[in-house]
Amino acid sequence: MSKIHDCVAELHRLPGVKGAALITNDGLVVASSLAESLQSDVISGLTSYLLMTTQRCLEEGGLGKATQYVLTATHGKAIVVSIDDSSLVLMLDQFADLAAARREASEAAQRIRRASRLA
Amino acid sequence: MHLIQRMKVWKELRLLEQRAREEPSPSTFVDLGQVYLNLDMHDKAHRVAEDGLALFPKATELRQLVDCAKRGQRRQQAAELRARLTRSPNGKLYRELAQLYVELGDTTTLHAVCQEWSVRFPGDAGAWLAIGQARLLNFYRDLAAREGQEAVRCLERAVRMDETDPQARKLLGELLYRIGAVRSAKVHLDALRQLDQSDPEIAALLEHVGNLADHGDDIKALLGGVEEQGCLLHPPATTNVAAPRQEESVARVREGLAGIAELAGVRKATFIKGSRALVKGAIRDGRDPFLRVVRVVAKAAHRFTRRLDIGSASKTVVDGDFGHICVCVYGDALAGAQCDRGADLDRVMAELQEIVAGALHLVGGGEP
Repeated sequence: MSKIHDCVAELHRLPGVKGAALITNDGLVVASSLAESLQSDVISGLTSYLLMTTQRCLEEGGLGKATQYVLTATHGKAIVVSIDDSSLVLMLDQFADLAAARREASEAAQRIRRASRLA
Repeated sequence: MHLIQRMKVWKELRLLEQRAREEPSPSTFVDLGQVYLNLDMHDKAHRVAEDGLALFPKATELRQLVDCAKRGQRRQQAAELRARLTRSPNGKLYRELAQLYVELGDTTTLHAVCQEWSVRFPGDAGAWLAIGQARLLNFYRDLAAREGQEAVRCLERAVRMDETDPQARKLLGELLYRIGAVRSAKVHLDALRQLDQSDPEIAALLEHVGNLADHGDDIKALLGGVEEQGCLLHPPATTNVAAPRQEESVARVREGLAGIAELAGVRKATFIKGSRALVKGAIRDGRDPFLRVVRVVAKAAHRFTRRLDIGSASKTVVDGDFGHICVCVYGDALAGAQCDRGADLDRVMAELQEIVAGALHLVGGGEP
């Protein structure tokens, strides 16, 4: 469990990252490391909404499962990586390097996957 | 409502929210919105209706729910304004309140407010302008001569009281030329031109009116003629100016979509505004799931980012077994593409952005 926490905390230390959290698909927070301005319950609820809504629509359309979401907004960015029954969420500021953050998020997701199998 | 009742309602709400998420249909969204309306939570009812419309854009009951929630929001705003007016009356608050009643179509209350306004601030032309606007709306809707006469009377009075107010002059000028009193209209439009010589809209309006035939200055007879024939004598200036521009925009969107569909790895591309969509690539028909996915992704991303206070979601990419789904949004226009793995996503996103930015002319009533 501490490995998962470490992964999440490590992501938060990257430049431009305002916070990272691992949440289950039904909205429970497994681990989080967030800036003061971010609330883990808000992020978990909204991520759950985003995943459930789009996943249902994709499945109904016969498109299968989504593995990653990258959102760019006026004042920030977000990356959501699907890990089995949970998701890794990265909140970034608007100047963050999206490509680098995507790479880091994918690597962290793999580490979390391994750690959760061992646990 | 006491505590136990409140708890029951909240429990019911949670169940309905869950149902709307798990079994989305127009009726589940309407049920949920109705509960919020009953609790006077019009903002939430509005949000529920918008969420429902993202999934079911053609559902008329959801559109009705939006209207109902908007009316409730305006009523709440009116009650707040009324309370502020009681504490410290001023012309600006009266103007806001009157405008709300014009939007609500509540003529009786509007008259009462305007009467109070003109008694407290007799030199303020705003009360006459507000009543004139309400009458004008009724006239354009029903083409009833009496409403037209009242609109002209109120607007003329507003113009007399404040000759520098452009809004009253513009509304009066437009009404006069549309019923055929072109010469009288020109007087007001020329005065408007004097007030602001740099306004291109006024220049275009004057040019448009300059080409129309005058049918005299007998307003009563002209309004009577309009009521009898059931149509206005002259068309508005906007239709002549905007139509080619809109066609041009649609053509540009089509070209842009064709360009995207030709990029390596792109399977489908679409531009969506309101309930209509332009499509390119391997899309069977309007029921292709890709169109719904683009709408839902755009809406969910928008809500996600807005709630997190990071602004509006302008670009979203969803990766999966299907490849990538890219969505670009600007206002209520959105463009989306489905690409295979390995496609140049930056290029696709840039092209989609070009399309939505170039479709700005379609803003307003214009759908593709």
